[in-house]
Amino acid sequence: MGARLPEISVLLQVAFGGLTMGAVYGILAVSLLMVYRVSKIICFAQGEFFVIGGLALATLTEQAGLPLWAAIPVVLLGAALLGLAIERGAISPVQRSGIGIVITMTIALSIALQGLALPIWGRQAHTVAPFVVAAPVEVLGAFVSAQVLIVIGTAVAVYVLLWLFFTRTTLGLAMRAAAQAPVGAQLVGISVRKLNRIGWASGVALGALAGMVVAPVIFLTYASGTMPMVKAFIAMAIGGLGSTAGALVGGFLVGTLEAYTIGFLSSEFADAIVFGVLILFLLVRPTGVFAASDKGGM
Amino acid sequence: MRQALAGAGGYIALTLLPLAFGSLADYYAEILTVVAVFAILAVSIDLVVGLAGQITLGHAAFFAVGAYGSAILTTRYGWPHLAAAAAAAAAASLVAYVVGRAVLHLRGYYLAMATLGLTGVVYTLLIGLRELAGGAAGMGGIPHLRIFGFVLDDPLHYYAVVLAVAVLVVCVCRRIARSAYGRALIAIHGDEETATALGIRVAQYKINVFVFAAALASIAGTLFAHHLRFIAPDDFTIGQSIHILVMAFLGGIGTVFGPVLGAVVLQLLPEFSHHFKDYQTLSTGLVLMLVLAFFPGGLYGLLRMLLARIPRAGRAGAPAAAD
Repeated sequence: MGARLPEISVLLQVAFGGLTMGAVYGILAVSLLMVYRVSKIICFAQGEFFVIGGLALATLTEQAGLPLWAAIPVVLLGAALLGLAIERGAISPVQRSGIGIVITMTIALSIALQGLALPIWGRQAHTVAPFVVAAPVEVLGAFVSAQVLIVIGTAVAVYVLLWLFFTRTTLGLAMRAAAQAPVGAQLVGISVRKLNRIGWASGVALGALAGMVVAPVIFLTYASGTMPMVKAFIAMAIGGLGSTAGALVGGFLVGTLEAYTIGFLSSEFADAIVFGVLILFLLVRPTGVFAASDKGGM
Repeated sequence: MRQALAGAGGYIALTLLPLAFGSLADYYAEILTVVAVFAILAVSIDLVVGLAGQITLGHAAFFAVGAYGSAILTTRYGWPHLAAAAAAAAAASLVAYVVGRAVLHLRGYYLAMATLGLTGVVYTLLIGLRELAGGAAGMGGIPHLRIFGFVLDDPLHYYAVVLAVAVLVVCVCRRIARSAYGRALIAIHGDEETATALGIRVAQYKINVFVFAAALASIAGTLFAHHLRFIAPDDFTIGQSIHILVMAFLGGIGTVFGPVLGAVVLQLLPEFSHHFKDYQTLSTGLVLMLVLAFFPGGLYGLLRMLLARIPRAGRAGAPAAAD
């Protein structure tokens, strides 16, 4: 056959790229899941939280000159407050309406947030300086930058922290209980309202976190949130709509598939191929790889 | 009969509307042509969203199939324009059928995301297919619409034709909404299990209405392509799908007239607010949020509510006027 297998270093380089974006999609998928778990709402504005997180970090560090260790918590706190405001102002008025109204409300939210970001950050792309200054590490001829390790490490850290939260804390257990049986949970005195608020605050904050860690690697504009949100949803669907581990693994799968498609097939058709896989996937296995997760979402 | 007369009168009045702007008649005819195209899109998406209750974000994809189908067949292969339009509509229906079979059994979020994915796929294909579709730069040189030997190169004439199609689409959709078929769709919207129990073949109904709406969107695409005579992928983005859905919700879903109102408002607004260009997206989003939270009936519902109040006020005032 004429086609030669590419060198191992090239394959690895593409894999690192895929894992980086995969980690980002994974964190975003987990952020979608935090909201979905309790409220059963998938927020179409999640991509905007991602973008605004990254853009806010750019402004705080580049323009306001805040150090990174101060800027990141500020953005996270702001995002959590935004999440609370959204739950209060946008979601609870339509909570009892049909799913169509709820979906459209989150779409409206996404339009409004894009519209808010446009006058603030303009149409141009923004980026953030790498979090640490270090020479790239060489692995079998491929180069890995420190930021890539930070992105992947963040995804792993998010998983570990959520695992501890959901298995070791009363609040986490309550959240799993409420996800599994909302009425039963209310009967034993769990406030579903309160859990809803926690879900939104943490979901928006995690979306912003994904945007912040990836901001040094990619260019962000006010409108670049839609595709990452859709890919995060694909990751979440592959993961079975209920499992944190599934969402992260789904994220890595989508990121890797995308990177290899861009690297070896076609950069123009990469999105089409990723979507094609989703549609096939929904046909063959609508419940996801990690389906039948009756453990309340771990 | 009275309704038909009112409709005909309304059509004639709307056709002559651009003439009211005197020397700017051509300019306003062109703007109103685009409004009519979007009215077709909004009314057709309302069949799927408002009647059947299925949230789709795939309308820009079918719009694109119509626009690019007509553009490619007429410019590259010299097809007669009506045949090209029919072929494009058939292609859009086929895509809708295949995709619909795959995704319509999915509910809520899955359907919304899968149709969003469809728009994404079509958009990337338009950019990728450089030879056939002109890639990101788009394709120009699309001829004026030519039917039965008449070349519609006057903006006023073309507007009259597009408006006629739009009025026809509105009438047909209104008929559908009030028919047994429409009531079955509304039953599906309410509760699929109950609808099934009532003997409604839910899957069949959903796919039929999805395919029909796709064909209408394709016709809108054909009219759009022959109007601008230059089309580019940027007219067929995910954002465009969202824009169409917003029109339906803003105007009031499930009401047929509501989405028309939504299309008129959202398409005309930018004409009057050039100065606030950067704030347009923000205001659209906020207005939509307010409508969803407080006026689920949309602008049309609000209008009807206000109109219902006026006669009562009139009646209350009548005796006073008598003495």
